[in-house]
Amino acid sequence: PPKPEGWKGDPGNPNFRALGTLSPPVMRKIEPAGPHFLAFARRKRHGRTFSEDERI
Amino acid sequence: MSEEVDGASSTEGVEQYAIGISFGNSNSSIAHLSADGKAEVIANEEGDRLIPSFLSYVDGEEFHGTQAKAQLVRNSRNTIGYFRDYLGKDFKSIDPTPCHGSAHPQENASTVAFSIQDTESETPNTVSVSEITTRHLRRLKQSASDFSGKAVTSAVIAIPTDASEAQTEALADAAENAQLNVLQFISEPIAALMAYDSRGDHKDKLVVVADLGGNRSDIAVVASRGGMYSILAAAHDYELGGVKLDQVLVDHFAKEFIKKHKIDPRDNERSLAKLKLEAEAVKKALSLSASATLSVESLAEGFDFRSTVNRTRYELLAGKVFQSFTRLIEEAVKKADLDLLDIEEVILSGGTAHTPKIAQNLKSLFSEHTTVFAPSTSPTAINPAFLAATGAAIQASLIQEFEKEDIEQSTHPMVTVTPHIPNAIGIEIEAQEGTSSFEVVIPQDSAVPVRKTKVMQSLSDGEMVLRVCEGQRKIKTTKPEPRSKAETNGEEDSDEDSDVEDEEDVRERIWEAIKPLGEITARVKKGLKVEVTVNVGADLSISITARELGAKTGVRGNIEKPEVTENGQA
Repeated sequence: PPKPEGWKGDPGNPNFRALGTLSPPVMRKIEPAGPHFLAFARRKRHGRTFSEDERI
Repeated sequence: MSEEVDGASSTEGVEQYAIGISFGNSNSSIAHLSADGKAEVIANEEGDRLIPSFLSYVDGEEFHGTQAKAQLVRNSRNTIGYFRDYLGKDFKSIDPTPCHGSAHPQENASTVAFSIQDTESETPNTVSVSEITTRHLRRLKQSASDFSGKAVTSAVIAIPTDASEAQTEALADAAENAQLNVLQFISEPIAALMAYDSRGDHKDKLVVVADLGGNRSDIAVVASRGGMYSILAAAHDYELGGVKLDQVLVDHFAKEFIKKHKIDPRDNERSLAKLKLEAEAVKKALSLSASATLSVESLAEGFDFRSTVNRTRYELLAGKVFQSFTRLIEEAVKKADLDLLDIEEVILSGGTAHTPKIAQNLKSLFSEHTTVFAPSTSPTAINPAFLAATGAAIQASLIQEFEKEDIEQSTHPMVTVTPHIPNAIGIEIEAQEGTSSFEVVIPQDSAVPVRKTKVMQSLSDGEMVLRVCEGQRKIKTTKPEPRSKAETNGEEDSDEDSDVEDEEDVRERIWEAIKPLGEITARVKKGLKVEVTVNVGADLSISITARELGAKTGVRGNIEKPEVTENGQA
């Protein structure tokens, strides 16, 4: 990692600076098979995030 | 707990026992989860784990599998095979070629049917392909029930990636008629991948699954990300398969026979059927040993025939067919906009994948870092013929307790169609003065939401900036030592350059940061391990956390989701 020089963070967060946003995504179909997909589908259907899901 | 009003399947109160079925044009397999939780392919009462998809009728008695296939010689008109791809299709769209040696498909009320003597009476019956499938599935189900002593209630069936809705519906109906509840259809390449991944390997990778069957070959390029699979491209060839290889041997032996007896065994239907069956056996033997013997009693006009062929000879004769497999796979990778160097694993599935030469050709096609999973190139390879059934059995065991509604909702496009990030997300690192390299944290084509962590070592002291970027893979071509161009005369030295080159360029994959997303600072000491976590939310917002390995706190930052653009245009 390179060193900073006169580097300034975002307002409200001195350690971080946002530079851009993600490129537009591609819509693809996930194959509905395997244990990881089932976990994904469960999260999506119940609107849970990763950490919420882990707690259950 | 289920209150389903579903009288037909009568699964209420009965313990669910689901199996995995791979139903092919040439062969089928059944698999289940054994008591110790391992997926295991079941042998039928004849001891076959690879069960030919054949049905044959002699005096009203039904034969199945290997016994039915053997009837191709004496009772070809009442023997049915290669019918899977006819299901759910109208007569005009089918290719009847594979059935020349057995019962011919006929048009019947817009679907396909066969005219066979399946009862003791002399008059043939018209039996629809759906009914044939039902009978075939009933036998498979019975074999699994007999093996385990428990009644099979339901199944997961592996189907090709290009199966239409009409085909899957027709298959589900045919299964229903065999009192078999289809929990889910999964695609064959994914089933094959799952069979391998069930050994505990879920790392992110790009995989080519090549399903080399009897009458057709299907290739799928799959991105495996965090144990989830997205098919990037698929290629099919409906004429390329093991039967082509059988034909090579049939022609070879026929020529030898003609030399000896001046009779072409291919002219007589029964002689040809005998030769075909034996040629297939020789082909299988040549996958295991260096030479094989063909011997047919009374091949044609009462002459016996015996001949030996070695593998080298066979590989020479079949060279062109082998190359078409390689070409089909290359084409699929190109279709996915990938380079051969991108592929980390090649999984060969299907019976034809036993052929050593095909695997060797692929080994040299791909980079040396690519693992080709086939019996002849990898000691840890799983029998390619059983991959689809194994994967289906694993899926069956995962969902057999689920309710139908649950499965339907989970497999709905609302769930399965998801944004995938087009580029990799990673950290740009200064390698040397002026040059930078890119470390991938989240690979491209990952479905969101996704979270990945990478541990990196800091190379110097002080306050650091971690630069999070989008990155893209580039192919860098390095020319080898330039050879003296003295021999080429300066004229007409235009576009044909590439043809003249004798030495191959060295091609390698490099990563390039293409778009910065954010920077995060932290005070670190040299040699310290820094853990960076990148989390992309379902709305494409990103949060980044960096902390010293083992430390409780770290620095974090958020990047907002991109501006909503209509129709995903940038």
